[in-house]
Amino acid sequence: MPMRRSPEVHPKPADALVALAVLLLAAALTLTVWGGNKSGGLIATISVNGQVAKTVDLSRLSGPEVQEFTANGFTLHVRLSSDGAEVIDSTCPNQVCVHTGHISRAGQSIVCLPARISVTLSGGTANGVDAVLG
Amino acid sequence: MPCWGETMKLTTKQLTLCAVLTALALALSYVENFLPLSLAVPLPGVKLGLANIVTVFALYALGVGQAFLILIARCTLGALFAGNLNALLFSLLGGLAAMAIMALLSRSRRLSIYGVSVGGAAAHNCGQVAAAILTLGNTAPLYYLPLLLGVSLFTGALTGFAAGILFRALEHTSLMKA
Repeated sequence: MPMRRSPEVHPKPADALVALAVLLLAAALTLTVWGGNKSGGLIATISVNGQVAKTVDLSRLSGPEVQEFTANGFTLHVRLSSDGAEVIDSTCPNQVCVHTGHISRAGQSIVCLPARISVTLSGGTANGVDAVLG
Repeated sequence: MPCWGETMKLTTKQLTLCAVLTALALALSYVENFLPLSLAVPLPGVKLGLANIVTVFALYALGVGQAFLILIARCTLGALFAGNLNALLFSLLGGLAAMAIMALLSRSRRLSIYGVSVGGAAAHNCGQVAAAILTLGNTAPLYYLPLLLGVSLFTGALTGFAAGILFRALEHTSLMKA
């Protein structure tokens, strides 16, 4: 059976263009998803099965609170505080939501696909700048 | 050899090779579970994509038609074995996006197997994030895509390297000769 086309098996200069295109796409997405630093408090939106289940204005929380969400047979405990959100435990099999850890910036999300629950932060960042130098 | 016409008639040898490659892709997907890249990079959907080696190989050696057949068989059987039909959408969208991009990129003589493979890995991630957006009903998974694309540069180069070794080894055999 003849080979239809034999590929080039050593890297060529044009391969860098593909890598560059992938990086550019990643950069453009980062700007789109993480952009939009409006002033104001951070808002956490918890969606279950694609429907918004709860919206919490994090800047109005008096202290950290843990909320429970159950969907599709799995239960997640989400800890909400003025500086962000995290899933502290979940009964889902892959634990990706727990491993995502703490999120604190507008545009960031925690996704639990088995439970079809997502936590998304929007609005301004609680601390508008990453660092102040000088 | 039959002509590669619009109707796809496979010879017994071609059908057998497709079946062997499908089995190989399924085995590679299974073996991949024992190399949990997601422990090092805690992102949903992060994996080496070893089954992509089969798609790259089939694309060059057998053409788009048979590569497509292998992909569909692999995704369907993989979802059946895992007992999770929800996974079918993920593997189909990822796999089809990867194959479309790689079929396009492999037409260019300027690109090596590395560029083609990296493009395929990136497209695979885009397809999977699209499936996650469809499953979840909102665009939250988009947040992971830039990081997944970064990882795909490495996983794509790795599968390209592995497929390259395969092609170099086959040059010393009579398997792929006329």
